Amino acid sequence: MTGGRPCAVCMYYTRRERCHWPTLKEEFFKGMCQRVLVLVAFDVDALCACKILQYLFQCDHILYTIVPVSGREDFERAFVAHSEGIRHVILVNCGATDDIIEMLQPEDNITFFVCDSHRPVDVHNIYNQVQVKLLMRPDELHDVPQFDEVFSDDDEEPEEADDVCEEPEEADDDSGNDSDTSGPVRKKKRVDEQTLEKEREKRLWREARNKRIFEYTEFSGFGTSAALLMFEIAWKMSKDTNDLLWLAILGVTSQYANRQVERDKYIEDIGQLQSHVSRLNNRSEDDSENIISVNCLKITFESELQLTMYRHWSLFESLCHSDYTFCKFKMWSMKGKKRLHEFLADMGLPLVQCRQRFAAMDMSLKETVKDMISKQTEKYSIDEQKLFLPSFHVQFGFKNKFCAMDAVLACEAMLESVSANLTPSDNFLKAGDVLNRSKTECMEKALSQAKMQLQAIVHQVQTFIDMKHQVICAGPFLYAFVTEGTPDASFFSKPTCLCHLAQFTLDAYSTMSHNKRAQNLPLVLGAPQDADLGTMLVVGVPPASDTSRKNFFGKAFEQAAITSNTQMMQDNFDSNVIMLKMDDKSKFFDALISLLQ
Amino acid sequence: MFGEKALELVKELQRSKTGTISAINEDVMRQVLEEMRALFEQNQRDVTLALAGEQLLFSAIQIRHSALERNKRCLLAYLAGRLNYVRETRWQFGSVLPAEVKQNLSEPELQWFNKYSKCLANYMSSIGGHGGLDLTQDVKPPKTLYIEVRCLTDHGEFETQDGSIVLLKKNSQHFMLRSECEHLVRQGFLEHIVH
Amino acid sequence: MSLSGNSSGKISRSNENYFSIDDIIATQEKIPCKFEVAVPHLGYLDQSSDSEDVAVGTKLELPYWLAQSLCGRRKHTVSVELPKVYRESYREIFDADATVVDLHKLGPYFYLFGTRLLHFEHPDSADIAKNLLQTFQTRFRMIMDMSQNSFNEDVTQLTQKLDETERTIFDVGQQGLNDFQQWETRQVDKLTTSMMVANHRKRKRAQVDDGQE
Repeated sequence: MTGGRPCAVCMYYTRRERCHWPTLKEEFFKGMCQRVLVLVAFDVDALCACKILQYLFQCDHILYTIVPVSGREDFERAFVAHSEGIRHVILVNCGATDDIIEMLQPEDNITFFVCDSHRPVDVHNIYNQVQVKLLMRPDELHDVPQFDEVFSDDDEEPEEADDVCEEPEEADDDSGNDSDTSGPVRKKKRVDEQTLEKEREKRLWREARNKRIFEYTEFSGFGTSAALLMFEIAWKMSKDTNDLLWLAILGVTSQYANRQVERDKYIEDIGQLQSHVSRLNNRSEDDSENIISVNCLKITFESELQLTMYRHWSLFESLCHSDYTFCKFKMWSMKGKKRLHEFLADMGLPLVQCRQRFAAMDMSLKETVKDMISKQTEKYSIDEQKLFLPSFHVQFGFKNKFCAMDAVLACEAMLESVSANLTPSDNFLKAGDVLNRSKTECMEKALSQAKMQLQAIVHQVQTFIDMKHQVICAGPFLYAFVTEGTPDASFFSKPTCLCHLAQFTLDAYSTMSHNKRAQNLPLVLGAPQDADLGTMLVVGVPPASDTSRKNFFGKAFEQAAITSNTQMMQDNFDSNVIMLKMDDKSKFFDALISLLQ
Repeated sequence: MFGEKALELVKELQRSKTGTISAINEDVMRQVLEEMRALFEQNQRDVTLALAGEQLLFSAIQIRHSALERNKRCLLAYLAGRLNYVRETRWQFGSVLPAEVKQNLSEPELQWFNKYSKCLANYMSSIGGHGGLDLTQDVKPPKTLYIEVRCLTDHGEFETQDGSIVLLKKNSQHFMLRSECEHLVRQGFLEHIVH
Repeated sequence: MSLSGNSSGKISRSNENYFSIDDIIATQEKIPCKFEVAVPHLGYLDQSSDSEDVAVGTKLELPYWLAQSLCGRRKHTVSVELPKVYRESYREIFDADATVVDLHKLGPYFYLFGTRLLHFEHPDSADIAKNLLQTFQTRFRMIMDMSQNSFNEDVTQLTQKLDETERTIFDVGQQGLNDFQQWETRQVDKLTTSMMVANHRKRKRAQVDDGQE
């Protein structure tokens, strides 16, 4: 624990205060060792933030090393391996929720900059003014325990305190045998009372502290996207470009795509981005002098149709594989499929056209698809908010047009690609290439991977619904397992894909179930991860009706593991994703059920 | 027909145009030299005879002489071609050759390589003012002082000019001084990332 | 990969490149010859006869380099015939349509060898020279077109019917196209692994894979 009592205000980036970047620069140029170590987590937001950071570093010729880390173990290992001679470490989407000083045991002269959207931030990180600097918005650090509630000078080694507690009792026992020490014994008795009182106070304080910490860390969630924060830093330094803006858009969109933030937060972020977009993309529609080349990146705001990858697929396929439409039309049943056909017919879209690749559809139909769907919303009671989303799409060159959602999905699919001969860090680099404009073939490949993933997900959801008793109600939550040996099970051995499956399953189940409470129940989903090691991956997602997206499973899993005495690994930076041994499954789930009753 | 063995050597050289070289074919070389020796001896005999008076031997002498010249040409071309390759390796692999390349070169070729390296080093240190000029650096005109590289294989620790240590682990990305890591890129340990 | 050195004493009209591998291999091609003089002790050159000497009038196919030294202005140990590819009948085919001919099959070094043939000062030499030039000119346009328009494709189909000289030209064309593409996409800035190292590694990896299997 760091000595002394730092003041209760932590150093962090705010819109009002000076930006943190110049401090970084000054510290670098003064110091002898100029290299910065950047540890990046395995998600799209982190990847985008990292790319923005790379650009800023390159502008200022700051040397850096970037190491992708897939979980806490990787994180520790990478730090130990790469930190020789390093003074500054930047953590992207990792490290906020752990006491990093305790975890990494770094030298005193190393400073950590944490740009992580995971919440809640560990109190040690907040109150360590010397070595840990948080790059976050201050209004997101709400409900932080006061310094006095969690730290105390007296609270050194509790074990020693217990020993001190015991000694007086022993002395009491001995006092009877030794009559010569009656004087000191009486003094000891007074002292004993004082110490006993102190001990009691300490105990109470410790209990209060534990309770406070539990309240603080009970729910995990997400703050502002790391990519957006990085973009703001760039903007403050007047180094923002359209490319960086696109990366920020992808970061924010990925948060919404993974249902990590509320819709309101997303809309707010989008509004902010929208002003940047109009500032950086203000060419007039009739650019008759052709000043700006077609190859330049152009971002456009649009109310996007939420049909997954419809531009890169056929309209029909997209309707069948999008969460909302799949559930709305109940497409696990024949009746549902018929209803979909009716829907298309009502819109005046011939089925043949809908089954063709979207790019090959008639121009007239393509342009009016959105309008036609809008007209039908009442008849089919479609929630416009769910089907249309304010978002952006990007264009460069004649052929390349991608919307933010699709780009995020493609990138995620690549990050979690299940090819046998690719290591996770290979995937990280490939995912980075997907976002590289000059490598559109990577994007194409990633999109087809995303399609395969989505098809596997839909197939699995269909299985869950068709076969009885797959999704079981355990009272406080629903749970289901992907059976071993399912052909596509390999997709679900990766956290993000499994989370997508969980969300999809929950939506579908709550739509079709007769259980009125299904809308308000969270879901725990398990899938086999590694057959050789006998492990499985388990995720917990909040209920479909919960808009705050706060997740209590992190803590719940932790407790359940303790009470059932099972070995569980919370290696992923998202605390609601854990690894278990297959054999411990029933023990663990029993404990979880009794915990949450 | 004479010269067919020698042609084998030349064909071997033609096949290896893609930038690798096979071990020096001492067997075939020896056979060619044998053939040449035999031809030479026969010619010597015939020349003495011809000088002594026999006229008709001239065409035979001519044929054998052409064969000798042909074999000589093939051998020289073989050796010259290999030497070209050795010279090229200095520019592409650097002054330390990997073991697999070394084992394919003969002893004289290795000595030639060392001498050539020395000549090159002497020349490079004599030009460009103090400190000399490293001609093997900057094969393409540099556009930036610093470049971003991606590590393709685990290459261990690398010490930079300012003393800091970079761990070149597979799939890590680094931003470094171009002059420091150019040779690692050329040797295939790092990949240069351009945007 | 060739060093030009001085030729073996002779100054010939064609550009003889002493160390040129292509030239060495091209000059190995056979020419039908007839011995005008008897050659003692070298009877083994003629595998069909058992005699110790080569008799006058023996017809053999000799490699060019040998025929060249035996048949010239000053000596006439053998007389040569033109190989069939350079005779009138074939010349007429080339005149008709040179672009469809498989020049690789007709002798991979069609042009090189053809120019060497002119050394013999055969009465047809002038026609041969003209014909070579014309064939080359006609095919050149096709080669240039092919090399500039096939980017990143498998070109073995296209180059199958080209002779070695044409293949070199084709490669030069492709190289130019690739260079331009690289310049356009700013790949020129990119430092690359030197070619030798890349090939060396490919071979190493292949060996390891073979070893594993």
